[in-house]
Amino acid sequence: MNTKRLFIVFGAIATIMISWAAASAAGLSNQTIGEVTQAAVATGAPQDFNTLAMNGLMNFMSMTGFANLTLPNFVMICVGLLFIFLAIKFDYEPLLLIPIGAGVIIGNIPFVAGNQIGIYEEGSVLSYLYFGVEKGIYPPLIFLGIGAMTDFTSLIANPKLMLLGAAAQVGVFLTFIGAITLGFDLSEAAAIGIIGGADGPTAIFLSSKSAPHLLGAIAIAAYSYMALVPVIQPPIMRLMTTPEERKIRMKPPRTVTKTEKILFPLVGLILTTFISPSALPLLGMLFFGNLLKESGHTERLANTARTSMIDIITILLGVTVGASTQASVFITTSSLKIFALGAVAFAIATFSGLAFAKIMNLFLKGDNKINPLIGAAGVSAVPDSARVVQQEGLRADSNNHLLMHAMAPNVAGVIGSAVAAGILISFLSYFQQVGGM
Amino acid sequence: MEDQVTQFGFTEGLVITLVGVGLVFFTLTLLFLLFISFTYLVPIVMNKINKPKQIVIKKDDEEMVINATKVSGEVNAAIAAAVYHYMAEAHDEESTILTIQKVKKAYSPWSSKIYSVHGSQLNR
Repeated sequence: MNTKRLFIVFGAIATIMISWAAASAAGLSNQTIGEVTQAAVATGAPQDFNTLAMNGLMNFMSMTGFANLTLPNFVMICVGLLFIFLAIKFDYEPLLLIPIGAGVIIGNIPFVAGNQIGIYEEGSVLSYLYFGVEKGIYPPLIFLGIGAMTDFTSLIANPKLMLLGAAAQVGVFLTFIGAITLGFDLSEAAAIGIIGGADGPTAIFLSSKSAPHLLGAIAIAAYSYMALVPVIQPPIMRLMTTPEERKIRMKPPRTVTKTEKILFPLVGLILTTFISPSALPLLGMLFFGNLLKESGHTERLANTARTSMIDIITILLGVTVGASTQASVFITTSSLKIFALGAVAFAIATFSGLAFAKIMNLFLKGDNKINPLIGAAGVSAVPDSARVVQQEGLRADSNNHLLMHAMAPNVAGVIGSAVAAGILISFLSYFQQVGGM
Repeated sequence: MEDQVTQFGFTEGLVITLVGVGLVFFTLTLLFLLFISFTYLVPIVMNKINKPKQIVIKKDDEEMVINATKVSGEVNAAIAAAVYHYMAEAHDEESTILTIQKVKKAYSPWSSKIYSVHGSQLNR
């Protein structure tokens, strides 16, 4: 099943690459039927009724999608259809892939520019919806919902697991360096690196700020690799740990009082945003959502945030991110590099989480030892990576349930990647001021 | 020239990487230290704020003193189980007397029986 998934997704990426290469080699996209017919209309002088009607008809034909179809558009529509197929047939992140797939089709229907239709045209409906992505409005609202549905109990019970969430962010920064060596500039590299944070909203937030032109590719890469967590992580987990380590049982977390649960979002909010104010929109909303959940008096608000509201934003975000992959903007070599770097980012993040868990074990004694597998959950794909840890744990020892323990680094990873995004934003603005870019 | 630009970006990138990783660790370590201290501090502070309430139960001339703030998990479980059983078994004995109540409805031509009985003839 997993190999099949891997095959399909990488097959899809390969298809894009090949058809892109073919399209640019053949020069098919240079002149469309629409341009030819328009040129024909321009030369003919309108005289009587017949020629007028004929010209009108020709003009209409030149406006249709058939007339303006280019090969890259066609390829992207096929990719959109593939996303929808994957979501329906294999139940493969349907909540994301169906909106994104539909968005890809919407964004790649060929049209004549200048009529306020396309997502990149000023004044079009799609561009207004895309405004929320462009200005980074949707990601904080998604974080509000995530905050209202996340239970930080396991993290409060075992705060040392917070460090695992930090360790996985090494993947972000190493990919950042990797992107720079591949020729991206600092702000583009920052947006690509954050894919390693495995956090869709954070990736969109950062790239909307630092590299808006790469947003579509980064968002698609982030979400498709998040869906691929069950494929990417297990081999690295098995490589990095011994069978004995995988069998380590962790003691059950202590009970957490309500006061602590209420204090956590408050302390977390104040502390993390004082250190990294650039991440304020993300972290502020995350902890605010969690406060709504834990306060015990705002159940209605928390309920709306984690159900209707996050659903509405997911719909808008999915469709507009999908539509932003308009072939003329999306099919470029940088998109392909981003896909490659994204996979590397995920692997490094998993690797560093596991390595740090092993290092922590050197200092921990007796039943305080942690199962290094949960280090892999430091990438913040909630709750997918925690679920992967649970499955791997069960494979080593069918009675060892790691899910609760893995949730701790998982939610710490969310905080960690938001902090990392904030740090990157503040550094970028510093370098922009200095003019070193 | 091209190489120089890349090189310039690389040094800056290295700085951002090292400082960035350090800062992420710093932030989460701070959060970790705070919550480690909370583990010890919160119970102490909370005990000071809410002075332990003592509940005295009298049964068969014996007095039991329970510390209300320190109720063990077992006691909670026992209470929860008792409440659950009480609620779940509440319907075991139900009254077998049936009463038929007449419900009065305001008249409305929409729900009037006469129209359905006569059908469309009434309108002619």
